[in-house]
Amino acid sequence: MPIINLQDVSKLYGFGDATTVALEEVNLSIERGEFVAVMGPSGSGKSTLMNIIGLLDRPTHGSYVLNGRSVSRLRSNQRAKVRRDTVGFVFQSFNLLPKLTVLENVALPLAYKGMTQTRRLKQAAAVLERVGLSDREYFYPKQLSGGQAQRAAIARALVNNPQIIIADEPTGNLDSAASRLVMELLSDIHAMGGTILMVTHNPELTRFASRVVFMHDGDIVGDKQSTIGQVPKSLRKRMYYLPKLTEEDRIAGVSAMMKAFPDKEAKSSKRTTKARKAKKPSTRKAKK
Amino acid sequence: MRLKANIKMAFASIRSARWRSFLTMLGIIVGVASVVVTISLGEGVRQQVEGQIKQLGSDLIIVKPGKNVGASSSLGALTANNAQSFTDQDLQAIKTTKGIKTVVPFSTVSGVARTDDSELPDGFIVGTTELLPEILRQRVKYGSFFAADDTNRKIAVIGKRVAQDLFHETVPLGKSLQVRGERYVVSGVFDQFATSPLSPTSDYNSAVFIPYESARTLVGQSQIYQVLVRPIDPEQTSQVAKNITANLSDAHGKQTDFTVLKQEENLAATNKILTLLTSMIAGIAAISLLVGGIGIMNIMLVSVTERTKEIGVRKAVGATNRQILDQFVTEAAVISLLGGVLGLLLSLFVDYLFRLFTDIKPAVTVPIMGIAVLVALVVGMFFGILPAIKAASRDPIEALRYE
Ligand SMILES: Nc1ncnc2c1ncn2[C@@H]1O[C@H](COP(=O)(O)OP(=O)(O)OP(=O)(O)O)[C@@H](O)[C@H]1O
Ligand SMILES: [Mg+2]
Repeated sequence: MPIINLQDVSKLYGFGDATTVALEEVNLSIERGEFVAVMGPSGSGKSTLMNIIGLLDRPTHGSYVLNGRSVSRLRSNQRAKVRRDTVGFVFQSFNLLPKLTVLENVALPLAYKGMTQTRRLKQAAAVLERVGLSDREYFYPKQLSGGQAQRAAIARALVNNPQIIIADEPTGNLDSAASRLVMELLSDIHAMGGTILMVTHNPELTRFASRVVFMHDGDIVGDKQSTIGQVPKSLRKRMYYLPKLTEEDRIAGVSAMMKAFPDKEAKSSKRTTKARKAKKPSTRKAKK
Repeated sequence: MRLKANIKMAFASIRSARWRSFLTMLGIIVGVASVVVTISLGEGVRQQVEGQIKQLGSDLIIVKPGKNVGASSSLGALTANNAQSFTDQDLQAIKTTKGIKTVVPFSTVSGVARTDDSELPDGFIVGTTELLPEILRQRVKYGSFFAADDTNRKIAVIGKRVAQDLFHETVPLGKSLQVRGERYVVSGVFDQFATSPLSPTSDYNSAVFIPYESARTLVGQSQIYQVLVRPIDPEQTSQVAKNITANLSDAHGKQTDFTVLKQEENLAATNKILTLLTSMIAGIAAISLLVGGIGIMNIMLVSVTERTKEIGVRKAVGATNRQILDQFVTEAAVISLLGGVLGLLLSLFVDYLFRLFTDIKPAVTVPIMGIAVLVALVVGMFFGILPAIKAASRDPIEALRYE
């Protein structure tokens, strides 16, 4: 039985003429222990999909079965509890609370479970050790480097022993060295049986995934099993046609996908402009 | 358990914005302080009056000319017809009432007591009889009060303040003062009279007492502004009061142009006035508490907006709406509770100043303190609910996106 099963899941924003289709009848089934990389150009609905899977958002239509339980019609408090117990989020911008120490940040999900403070901090300390940040427990987030902050955020996502880790561009704000550390951490979790969904613009990173899902304009347009340690062939081919992808671009996380797909957007005329307003990928991603 | 965590969180957030938190509390501080000070002043005065009345004894009957004379001399003076006074015939009518043990007249001697080099403009002169110390239950500290057969002599017994203000010494025995050109020799000085604002009796510390007959000689005709009566049997106080009323109205051609007050009535009336005054002022003060609550709401609304991202993160890691709501309500409650405690401390300080610089002895009771802090807590929770609801109902995704 799949841990995640989406059937005809759509997400619409706005009304009437201004309606934006962020997801259009998506079907997706993910088994326990998969490491799914989600790729696609900006505005293709990757984050929307992650938010729905992570129960931060609810689909406009369609059914979502998580762990055999239908969760698409849950009320927000029930969603919060399922989210707390099954999902760990990792964000591009870390999202650590600036007024809490690293240890307190990591322990935060446990607080909402009603765990006592001593147990909370003990458990958080154990997870911090696992991500190699034991010596940063009493630092505040602004005293950490980007890579450290993201590892702390991963520790926070792990602290509750969630069944699914959802990482939306976890390396988007990191340099290549820090990215590598974060990716090694994620594949560690995968190796120990964790289910991971990761959005990325960097095809290089798909070598850590067991499966790559491609999205475009709210649809899943490709879904490939991938051998761990290798970038899927289709992607390699695309990369081959993109000799302009420099080392610099790669470090900045500029995606070959994005360089490969931009012209596709012109085809989709039935969608509203909003969906296509997605900023020029290269300018958005090239931070350096 | 969750409450403890929320309280810790609230303190952390208050600490991280010390000044703002303090300014937010200020409304509550001022509100609580003004309410507590008002109530403690009222309560202090009430206790003083009650103590004084207890000292005089509950069987004391006060007879005053004029209708509807108020319970207290100071307030009563506003309503009583001061032009009226009892005559010696009236005094006789009271004296012949059945069941009476002691009758002491107080007659006014208008004029100012003076010595060669100073005078006493705010003092007053009373002609009275030898039973005055007994009926007022007041000790003469130095010298002695005049005796029954002194009634025509020109001697005076004075209150403590007269001794100080007129003679600039504590024991001016044997010295003389002048009343309407006549010399009176001081034969006694009273111990300190218990006084209180709104007291049913005048402040006798500023009084010069002279024998009744000599006062009459001085003025020409007795002008009795008050007669104090004590019955033989304290149980019969009401009956005796009725008898006095009957006798006097007979003497006045069935007119009740006088007032007979029992001490209990005095106490009840004083309490009534005090309660009214106190609750009126406390009510006005409570408005500032309301304003303080609105201040908390205002700042909490700003804080909720500023912390949108935090709310998003907390929700993403599994906080339910209820848990977010609790967090913000707790924060508002902690702010106003702290304000309440600080307000209470401020009010204790103000009360201390009152004790230092006035005659009033404000009384803060434990229930008042408890209620004040509790009210502050309730105000904070009440005004914290709206911002907390706003926080709890934020959509997690939008909140996460907020910068
Ligand atoms: N709150 C919203 N209101 C209206 N439209 C929205 C909203 N959120 C997302 N969208 C639209 O839904 C579409 C999908 O957005 P989404 O954030 O999922 O894209 P993405 O694939 O994550 O892009 P990126 O790679 O840039 O992060 C976009 O066209 C976006 O404009
Ligand atoms: Mg996105």
